[in-house]
Amino acid sequence: MEIYAPTGNTGEPQRSLAAPIPVLNGLSLGILDNTKPNARVLLDRLAERLTERVGLTLAKAEVKNAALAAPDQVLESLSKEVQVVLTASAD
Amino acid sequence: MSLDTPQIFKIPDSSERELQDLFLEKGWGDGLPMVAPTRDRVEEMLSASKDLDPDEVIASLPPRDGIATRRIIAVNAVMAGCKPEHFPVLVSAIRALSAPEINLRGVNATTHCVAPLLIVHGKAARDGDYNSGLGAFGPGNLANATTGRAVRLILHHVAGATPGTGDASTQGSPAKYSYCVAENLDSSPWGGYARSVGINDESAVTIHCGEAPHNVHDMESSEPSAILDKVASTMTSWGQNNAPISQGEYFIALCPEHASTCSSHGWSRSDIASYLFNKATVNVGEARKAFELRAWAPWQHALEDTDTISMTEKPENIKIFVTGGAGKHSCIIPSWGMTKSVTVPILP
Repeated sequence: MEIYAPTGNTGEPQRSLAAPIPVLNGLSLGILDNTKPNARVLLDRLAERLTERVGLTLAKAEVKNAALAAPDQVLESLSKEVQVVLTASAD
Repeated sequence: MSLDTPQIFKIPDSSERELQDLFLEKGWGDGLPMVAPTRDRVEEMLSASKDLDPDEVIASLPPRDGIATRRIIAVNAVMAGCKPEHFPVLVSAIRALSAPEINLRGVNATTHCVAPLLIVHGKAARDGDYNSGLGAFGPGNLANATTGRAVRLILHHVAGATPGTGDASTQGSPAKYSYCVAENLDSSPWGGYARSVGINDESAVTIHCGEAPHNVHDMESSEPSAILDKVASTMTSWGQNNAPISQGEYFIALCPEHASTCSSHGWSRSDIASYLFNKATVNVGEARKAFELRAWAPWQHALEDTDTISMTEKPENIKIFVTGGAGKHSCIIPSWGMTKSVTVPILP
C-alpha cells in the first residue's frame, strides 16, 4: 500500500534569528517586555545579572503585546539605541 | 506557485491495527483512528476541485510555516473521513485561516483553549449535508464532524500546532478535535450571516477563533430583552479572554426559537448587538482588580473605577447567527481575543 504523508513541505520562515553576538562586554542592552504577568520581573533580574557579570549596560526598555508581533516603531527605537535585546516570558 | 508532490510511503499490506500504529508512531493524527490516505482516495478527493492545480499553494500555516496545497489538504481530508463534496468547504476554510487578521501563529501557540470554529453558510451547507438543525454542534453528522476534524489535522500536521511544541494550550479543549457547524438559514429571520458582512456569494465559510460554546438557557421569556439579558450574563463571566481583551469578538449562536422571539418584536441583528453591548458590562474598578494585564482601547483606559465598561469595545464585535433545532438553548462563543473572524466565499 502507498500512502501520502500529511505534513507536506515547509516554506521559508518569515523571520529568522539573528546570529549570536560573541562578546557582550561594553554593549548596550535593551528589554522588550511582552507584558505577560511577571515578565518584567524576570527580564529585569536577567538584565541585572548580565550587567554585573559581563558588563552590559541597560539602556532602554520597551513593551509589546504578548500575542502580537512588536510594532515597527518599537523595533526601530530599540535598534537605534541598543545592540542586544532581551525578550522572553511565559505565563 | 506549485510545489513538489508530497512524500509517499510504501508500507506493507497490513492489518488495520498495524496501520493505525504506524500513524501513531509517526506522530500523525488526533488520537482517533484515521483513514489511510492512499493515492486513489486522495485523487477522488481532489476530483472536487476539477481541473485546478492540485499542487497550487492555498496557504502557508504558522508556526511551522507548512505549505497547504490542495493535495496536502486532500490528504488530511481523507484521513479525517471527509467526502469530496466537503473538500471546497475545507479548502476555503484553510484560505480563511491564513488571513492576517486571524493571527494563526498566536491562535495555534497560545496557552488559551482557543479553536477555530467553522460556520458553513448557504448552498454548500445544504449540498454537503452539513447539520444546521437539532444538535448542530454535534455529534452525529458526518459533514460537520469530518470537516472540523480535517481542519484540526491540518493545523497539527501542516501548521505544526502539536501540543507541547506548537500548541501550548494549558488544558486543550474538546473543540480542538472538531469544531464545525452550519448556519440555519431557513430559520434565520434576518437572512444569512455571510451577506450581513458583505459576502454575497451563494456559499461561504466563516472562521472564528474562540472558546467552546457557553450555554444560554431560557425557556421562559417571550420578550427579546429577557432572553438577551441571559446572553449578556453569559458574556460577562470573568474567566473568558474577552474580559481583559476589549478587541475580542463574540459569536452569538441563537437557536431558531430565541431568534424568532427577537425578530417577531422587530429586533434586527444590529439591535441585538447594540442591546448586548449596553448590557454585557462590568464595573471598571472590578475589571482593573481582576486583571493586571488589560488590552483595552485607549479610551477605555481613561474610564473611572466607578464607570462601567462593555465586554467588547464596539457593538460590531458582537456577531449574530442562527443554528440549532427545536428547544430554547442558545450559546455564545467568546474569542481568544487577539484575532478577528474572517468570512470568505467557498471556492474550490
